[in-house]
Amino acid sequence: MVKIEHKRALLVIRFRDKKFEWPIETRYWRNPLLGIFGLALLPVFFIGQPDFLSLITTANIYAAIAIPLGWQITGIGRLNFGPQFFLGLGGYAAGLISSTYLWGPWATLPVVILIGLAFGFMLSPLTSLAKGLYFSLITLILPLIFLEVTYYFSIFKGETGVYGILPFVNVQSITTEQVFACYFSLILMVIFLYIVHKIMTSRVGVYTAAINDDEEVANNLGLNIKAWKVVCFVVTSVMITIVGWFAAHFYGTFAGVTFLPLSFMLKILLVVMIGGRGDVYGAIYGAYFVVLLEKVLMVFGTANYILFPIILMILLFTLPEGLYGLYRKHRYREYYPAIRVRKR
Amino acid sequence: MEIIKTILIYAVMLGSLYLLVSLGFSLICGVLGIFNLGYGITFVVAVYGMWFLMHTCGFGLLPAIAGVFVLQFLFTLGIIYYPIVKRYMEQEEFLLTSLLLVSLIIEEFVNHVYPITAGVDIPTTIIPGTIELGGSTLPFQMLFVVVFAVIITAFFVVFLLKTRLGLKIQAVSQNHDAAQLMGVKVGRVHIIAMLLAAIPPTICMIVIAPVWAIEPAMGESLLQTAILVTILGGLGNLRGTIMASLIVGLISSSIAFLVNPRLVNAAILICVFLVLLFKPEGITKSESLW
Amino acid sequence: MILQLQNVSKRFGGLKAVNDVSMSIGSGEIVGLIGPNGAGKTTMMNLISGAFKPDSGKIVFDGIDITGKESYQICRHGINRTYQIPRPFPEMTALLNVAVGVLCGKRRPDMSLSDAMLDASHFLELVGLFGKRNTLARDLSLFELRALELARALATTPKVLLIDEVMAGLNQFETVKAIRLIRKVIEEYHVSILWIEHIMKIIMEATDRVVVLHYGEVIGSGPPRNVVADPKIIEAYLGEKIA
Repeated sequence: MVKIEHKRALLVIRFRDKKFEWPIETRYWRNPLLGIFGLALLPVFFIGQPDFLSLITTANIYAAIAIPLGWQITGIGRLNFGPQFFLGLGGYAAGLISSTYLWGPWATLPVVILIGLAFGFMLSPLTSLAKGLYFSLITLILPLIFLEVTYYFSIFKGETGVYGILPFVNVQSITTEQVFACYFSLILMVIFLYIVHKIMTSRVGVYTAAINDDEEVANNLGLNIKAWKVVCFVVTSVMITIVGWFAAHFYGTFAGVTFLPLSFMLKILLVVMIGGRGDVYGAIYGAYFVVLLEKVLMVFGTANYILFPIILMILLFTLPEGLYGLYRKHRYREYYPAIRVRKR
Repeated sequence: MEIIKTILIYAVMLGSLYLLVSLGFSLICGVLGIFNLGYGITFVVAVYGMWFLMHTCGFGLLPAIAGVFVLQFLFTLGIIYYPIVKRYMEQEEFLLTSLLLVSLIIEEFVNHVYPITAGVDIPTTIIPGTIELGGSTLPFQMLFVVVFAVIITAFFVVFLLKTRLGLKIQAVSQNHDAAQLMGVKVGRVHIIAMLLAAIPPTICMIVIAPVWAIEPAMGESLLQTAILVTILGGLGNLRGTIMASLIVGLISSSIAFLVNPRLVNAAILICVFLVLLFKPEGITKSESLW
Repeated sequence: MILQLQNVSKRFGGLKAVNDVSMSIGSGEIVGLIGPNGAGKTTMMNLISGAFKPDSGKIVFDGIDITGKESYQICRHGINRTYQIPRPFPEMTALLNVAVGVLCGKRRPDMSLSDAMLDASHFLELVGLFGKRNTLARDLSLFELRALELARALATTPKVLLIDEVMAGLNQFETVKAIRLIRKVIEEYHVSILWIEHIMKIIMEATDRVVVLHYGEVIGSGPPRNVVADPKIIEAYLGEKIA
């Protein structure tokens, strides 16, 4: 029935009539697995300190936003200055439904995904507008206007935000809740990582790279760039909406004023830039770095609001490839596995 | 009927305000070909510069006005143009990100030094009090906004169309390389364009300070308006910007009076989005400044 | 007649780049397109491949009207082009460049990336770039880039290939190699070629028929020997006095 053959570095599984081939190239998944294992161990060290645990959760959430955003930047070719619009969408949708109708998180998830899809499609024409910079500008404005709308309609409860959202697990102690938060956010981030990695190493990843390198040529080679840009935008927007859903259900409250203003956007943007301008694994490094930096700067008191963008500006000036980019320059490894094609 | 008169009067008023706000942004778009996301900070610098000069340094009104123009020019060249724009002109993502970062830095810095509670008050009221016009009460100051908008726009148009320097600016905005081949010093034209673009925001803020809510974050919402008006009117086209600001003024005042003042920005965004769907170049399809 | 242009015109503002041009290419034919600079040859190529839409006229390919269709649709019907200044995907390897052509050229939704790369390596072998398959495209030399363009265009299995001044900038030896390569391609894949070229030697040797453009209009067409001897055409290229 199921036959498994192992020839050199190729694993062939025959199941009835179908054949699955899996070239075992450990060098591509050994490091990521080690890294994820390390991240999973991290909360264990800080079990007694809830503020460190919340840092880890925040870092995982930032990474979960930056990973699809990285794909979106290469897939559309322009910077999205308002990813937090979808974050707010997911969070408010989940929060309002949960607190009004008392639905649990798994019930609100499909609704959140549908809302994300709807808005993604509605906004998708932006990706193919004539002057591509319009995409950056209008996405810049979107979250700010969303914030204003939330102030107007009292249903959003203004600055305090929506509260009474049903959590994932009902535990009594705060520390256990924090530990759960760490692991759940890690799982979410790893799922997103896996999805985007699979996409980037498949034919869609090649399409993305082609659109990013030279759109017109890709169009001439038979690639329907408008359609693929829309696909990229909608999928990544839905992913970011899901992060909003997660944040709402985990923290129990969701206020637009935390996630929608420009200052939050710049944090996410810097996670992306420091992580090597849209690199998928680099985003994780970028997220942890930014979160640590924020914590370290807290010692300066209120002046940290000024110092944070200043430091990030210096980093932008001196390291255009991001911190992760330095690592990649030293050990360049191509993203797609090299097919061993031998002449017959 | 009363309400239509009110709407129209406010449309003109708001339109002139938006015109003053967007004129500089549109000029930079057209001549330099970039989106100056640090434009919102020009307003903040104008207001808080005045406050700094008058309150902390003790200048009188007229010296402060002169001083704030100098401050504004220094700021534009020293912080926005030379370090950022000139360096990153070719790489969009860095340009936009660093401009946003700079505006955030300045905003937080100003917030630190002069928080919202500092009670910034700039006594530039020309004629105090209000006037009855078409059934609604307007502060005199707002009428001066309209007057100044007309004066500044007229100055810009005459300057661009009738002077030699204006001709050079038009040339650079249409074709960078061809202008350079004709002997135009493009670098100098860029500097002049940026300085010119800093004038309307400063004047706008000076006139409007007594009747506007002053806070460090106001740069963001003014930048929003400038972006929407410029996109609607076609990037870098002054005629389009004038038309678009009046249209946006009309939309604002109608929504404000007929629906709710808080939904104004959302309504403008939806309108701009719809226009872009059908006419991606904006209202005027022109490639040049006028 | 596999490709037919009927009264095609295109103007840019006040300039009529292509003025009422009618021509056709037969199956398996190699047609040269010559004319002085600015005659509208590259514009014609852009019109056929879909980068510009003609203002008037019709383009019929294999019985299908392709006027005004999008570039990617035209590519899937079976027309592809190379560029005068090569435009590879700079950050991708040569293998991936051609793989894009394999994946997108015809609708093949079930092809996996590894199969596409295997297919792509065949095309690279054909043009002689197999050794450079893992080099980034921006590190290749001019001749290799031209070969890559050819391989990538071929990977979309076209029936008509538009070649735009592929010999420009090549030295003597490279030119001979290039002609040999194109001949091999034609033999193996039976494509029809519309070839824009300035080097007369190639036009005389490699083409079956020549069409001459001048200021956007066709001023002559026929076998190369006849066209080159025509006084009207000599006048267009070199001026009245010489004719």
